[in-house]
Parts: sequence; structure tokens; C-alpha cells
Amino acid sequence: MTPAQLYCWHFMAYPHLPADFDEKYDSGWVTVPNALWDADRSRGLYQEYIDQLTLADDLGFDGFVLNEHHQNVYGMAASPNIVAAALTQATKRGRIVVLGNLLPLHMNPMRVAEEYAILDMMSGGRVVAGFAPGGGPETFNYDVPSAPSREQFWESLDLIVRAWTEDGPFHHEGRHFPLRYVNPWPKPLQKPHPPIGVPGSRSPGTLIECAKRGYCYFLSSRSHGSATGRAKDQFAKILEQHGHKYHPFRMGILLSVYVGESDATARDECEEGVWYFLKNCLKGHLRTEGRQLTFGPGVPYIPTKAWRQYLETSQPGRKLLGDAENWEELEASNSIIVGGPETVLERLKQLVDQSNVGNLLIQFHIGNMSDDITRASMTRFAEKVAPELRAYSAKVFAERFPESEEEMALAGVHT
Amino acid sequence: MSARIIEAGGRKVGLVEIGDGAPLLYLHGFADLHGVRPDPFPFHQALATTRRVIAPAHPGCGDSDEYPDLSNIDDVEFHYLDVFDALGLDHFDLVGHCMGGWIAAEIAVRHPERVRSLSLIGASGLFVPNATIGDVFMMAQPARSVEYHDLRAMLFNDAESAQATDLFPDGRGDIDDEVRRYQMLRFSSFVGFKPPYFYHRALVNRLHRIACPAMVITGENDRFVPRAIAEAYASGIKGARGPEVIAGAGHAAHLEAPDAVAKLVTELLG
Repeated sequence: MTPAQLYCWHFMAYPHLPADFDEKYDSGWVTVPNALWDADRSRGLYQEYIDQLTLADDLGFDGFVLNEHHQNVYGMAASPNIVAAALTQATKRGRIVVLGNLLPLHMNPMRVAEEYAILDMMSGGRVVAGFAPGGGPETFNYDVPSAPSREQFWESLDLIVRAWTEDGPFHHEGRHFPLRYVNPWPKPLQKPHPPIGVPGSRSPGTLIECAKRGYCYFLSSRSHGSATGRAKDQFAKILEQHGHKYHPFRMGILLSVYVGESDATARDECEEGVWYFLKNCLKGHLRTEGRQLTFGPGVPYIPTKAWRQYLETSQPGRKLLGDAENWEELEASNSIIVGGPETVLERLKQLVDQSNVGNLLIQFHIGNMSDDITRASMTRFAEKVAPELRAYSAKVFAERFPESEEEMALAGVHT
Repeated sequence: MSARIIEAGGRKVGLVEIGDGAPLLYLHGFADLHGVRPDPFPFHQALATTRRVIAPAHPGCGDSDEYPDLSNIDDVEFHYLDVFDALGLDHFDLVGHCMGGWIAAEIAVRHPERVRSLSLIGASGLFVPNATIGDVFMMAQPARSVEYHDLRAMLFNDAESAQATDLFPDGRGDIDDEVRRYQMLRFSSFVGFKPPYFYHRALVNRLHRIACPAMVITGENDRFVPRAIAEAYASGIKGARGPEVIAGAGHAAHLEAPDAVAKLVTELLG
């Protein structure tokens, strides 16, 4: 049985913010003044990050994950396809997961279809094509009108898949992207097309549209535990309603891991990076301090009925990941796992056991973490955590999903 | 007062009616009837002493169905033509606040023969260089996840007044009010989130087509729609009165100074 797929996710954070950033600035997103950009200290930054992903390839990770954000200190892969292009050349083996291109930001979805096809060719068929509608911050800095952006999103994604699978030229009569000549050169290497992933935070609309089309759903929520299992159950139920069966590789989750030398030293080793990430990178996104732009009445993309339901079932001002005040609160979120190899292994085994999710997208470089510390953590993970985690997950999945092997192959999972 | 739902253009439209007399159509904004509350404010009551005030909720607001095909201000204007037909409204006074004022101006430039008088209160809709209409969407994202001070500051003269904090309280307010506020943001996001940001560049060149008596009103401290927009309306509409600047009021001048604003509008109504 296929073991859990272990991916190295790199946000490519800006690591040189001043020490008093949190005190002085409202947000790390959209309006964070770019006068803070330190060109001298940032020389070589992208290379350092790309080299870390090359190390992940050497260490036997199943792949690398990039995502797209704009005007922020959290993630600077504003054009993830450019970084992915470098990875096609710098790495040999792992899958290149771009999660994803933000479709409503493109005037013409064919550009994305073409770029993914080129990346798939350049990488020898290693691309996982992710697509996302963009979150709150992107609605502000790229003027995506948020109410219709979901509709635009699915129209472009369906057009891209059609362009990859149907011979052109053909005419697309869409509401948002009418095109007379759809006829991309090249086509992707993988047939019928690269595996497709869509991130979401449990909004039923996204779950249903993914289920209908058989795409992989990546839960972008930043707290794990029983809620992750519930999300999986929800997706499994929706899949069944649409004639599909859940298996662990239909879903992925995002988490952060730091593997220290030992439990005794791990927190000290990664403390600076983790708290830089929480206080600075998450400010404006997953922190109540300042002005959070990710979700709320000012980004009214969810239908009114869903908004009412949210109001009725949520507490205003509830704590978010970036609000953790200390290690104990952070532990409780189960989203940033820190410890020696044994502890990390145990907690990831628990997560696999509880969630039945097969794609683990793991952030190793956290905040302003130094290159040395990041590499050491990745290496310990690959040597002391991954082997047993793979064996354990393969066994668990084989027991629980005995008939899924063929379906997983269809989903494009390496077996 | 009566609240009812009519059908127009195949969609349900919720509306409130008060008073008797010649018809007056009122188009709402954010801090307003339908924008927050289901019932008329004192300003609307004042207009109803001499008119039959008809106040429909914009598509997706209050009891009105969402209009999923809506993509620009033109669609909104045509939606209202359907509403007029459904109501059998031929000739009427037109009063609008904020986005409602913009929609009213769009109706008046296209159908000057139907509009008996036009009153604009804090109306958006025009592009004036260096007079940017505020980003109500970003201000609607609460600071520290619970504080709506900045939104209140955009909509009212005094962000901490009893009225401002009653309509836009910190934390979780009345859920129905919050839903109405969300509906108004969602509706307006279809036409004002992306550029053009709550304006229609061609509108300024069409204002001369308005043939009826007109009045342009703005709050002294409108921090959402800059004074220059009111000035451009007043100079673009032939014979328009104004801009009448309401002292001590902000964007929602009609709520903050109902008597003063109602007096001006009533003078225009004659």
C-alpha cells in the first residue's frame, strides 16, 4: 500500500523584518510598507530557498510545495511558476506541487494552462497542478471582486482541463473568459492531465466542486486534530454523494514541523523562527491583532446563508494560530509540531491515524529560520521520522482502505 | 408602514413603504434602512409626511433576491427599471444615499423624463482625480477581529456616537443586523470592489442630461465619499442646488442630522 506522501512546503517568507515590526505595523499583508525590503540582505534569498528544496529532493521527500501570495512577508513566491521552473532543473525526482495558481488574477486562464504544460514537460511529468481562487488579502491587492470570484474560478479551471484533454482549436463560450481559439501548445506530459489539487478551508461549495470532478482537496486549516478527521468525513460523504470513494490521497493537509536534536532542545532551536512566523508573517492573516484580511464581512465571497450560519456558530474574536502566547497554546493547535525525532514521529502517526489523510504538506522553513537550522530539521525528519512514518501509514491505509490502490494510481499517486 | 415583497424581472424585491401622496423612491446606502435595519429611520419618516416613500432593498439586500448576473452599475439600473414596471411607477421623486445616490444619478441621466426631483446624499459614482472613494471593504474587516471603529469612522462623523455604535457595534451585534450589513457589502462588491471603485467614469459627462430640480447634500466630515464628488455632482447637474454641507455630520448625514437633511430635501420636493 502507498505510504503517506511527505512533501516539503516552502512559503519563502521575508526573513529580515526589524525586531519591533509587530509593535509598529498593523499587518504583514497587503499594506506592509515595502520600504522595509532590505535589498542587500535579501541578495541570494531565493537561491537559499530553492537550495533547501533541492535538499528535500536529495533527502527523498515525495515532492515540494509552492504557493502564490502577493504583497506580504508570509510568502514571496508571488509567481510560483517561476520558482517551479527552477525546481524542474534543480531537482530530479520529487513532485512539484504548485498550490496553486490564483485563477481569478489571470486575465486569461490559458496562460496558466500553458505554463503548467511547460512545467510538466520540463520536469518530466512531475507537476501537480494546483488552483486556488485567492483569499482575502488577494481580493484587496489584486482587486478580485470577491463575490463572483468563485464562479470565475471554476469556469477557468474547467476550461484549463478541457484545453488539456480535448483537441483544439475549439471555441469556449464562458461568461468570464470567452475565447475563440483554445488550442494550447504544448500539452502536458502526464495523461490525461497532471493531478489537480484545490485548497480550501471546509467551505461546502469547494468540497462539492472538487468531489464532482475527482480533484484532490487540500485542507488549508491551521489547526489539526479531531477537526481534521471531521473535515475528512465531510469530504468522504460528499464524494460518495457524487459517486466517488474516499481514499487517503484524495486529501492533503498543511502543517509545520521542526525536528530538533531532542525534545529538550527543540524549542530553543526553532524559537526565533516560529515566533517570527506567528507574530509577523501571520499578522493580517491568522492573527486577531492588527487587521486580519483573510476572512470577514469585507471579503464577502461566501453566500449570505453561509455567513448567517457562521455568525450563529462562531465566537467573535476567537483565537487564531498566530495568537498563541506560549508553547503550550501552540501545541494545542497541533499545527506546528516541534520536538525531537521520536516525539514528532509519534504526533504525526497520531495525525495520520486520526485524519486518514495521505498527503502531508509540511513547512520546514518557518519565519526567519536560518538555513542551517532548516536543513538540520529536514535532514533529521528524512532520516529519523520519515521511514517509520511511511511504514506505519502504509499499514494503516492498507487496513482501512484495502480496495483503493487502483483508484489511487488514477489519482496520480506514486506507488 | 408596510413591508412587502414584489416580483420584478423574475426576482423577489423586498421593499418598505411609508406615507401617502405622490411616489418618492428612496435608494439606500450602508448606514441605512436595509443596509443595517429593516425599519425606516426618522429621516425616511420625515419624507413620508408629504410623500408615499417606497424604499426597495438592492439585489441581495434585505428580503431581495440576489442577482447573480449583476456585474456593473448598468445591470443595477436595468434592475430598477423592472422594479418601476412592477410598481407601476412612471414619474417620481428620487432620493438616494451613498451607492443609492449613485444608482439614482444613473437612473436620472438615462430617464430624465421619469424623475420629478433628484436628491443625492453622500452619493458615490463619480471619478474625480485625487478624490478617492474610501475602501469600505477593508474598513469592514474588524481590527483585532472585533473592533469596527474604522468602519464607523468612515460612515459617521463621530465613530463613537451612540448611533454609530448602535448600528455598527464591536463584537457580535444583532445577527439580523450583521446579515443585512453583510448583504450590502456583498451586493456592493459586485460593482465597487474592483476598479472602478464605486464610480463610473462616463457618468460625469452625462450629468447634463438630468432635467429635474436637483439637490446635492454631503456631510461636513464625510470620510467615505470625498466632498469633491459632491461638488462635481453639483456643478455637473444643471441648476442643481449644493453641495449643501451638513455641519457636524459625516457620510450618513441623513441619519446623523435627519431634520437638517429632511428640511433640504423637502424644500426641493416643494
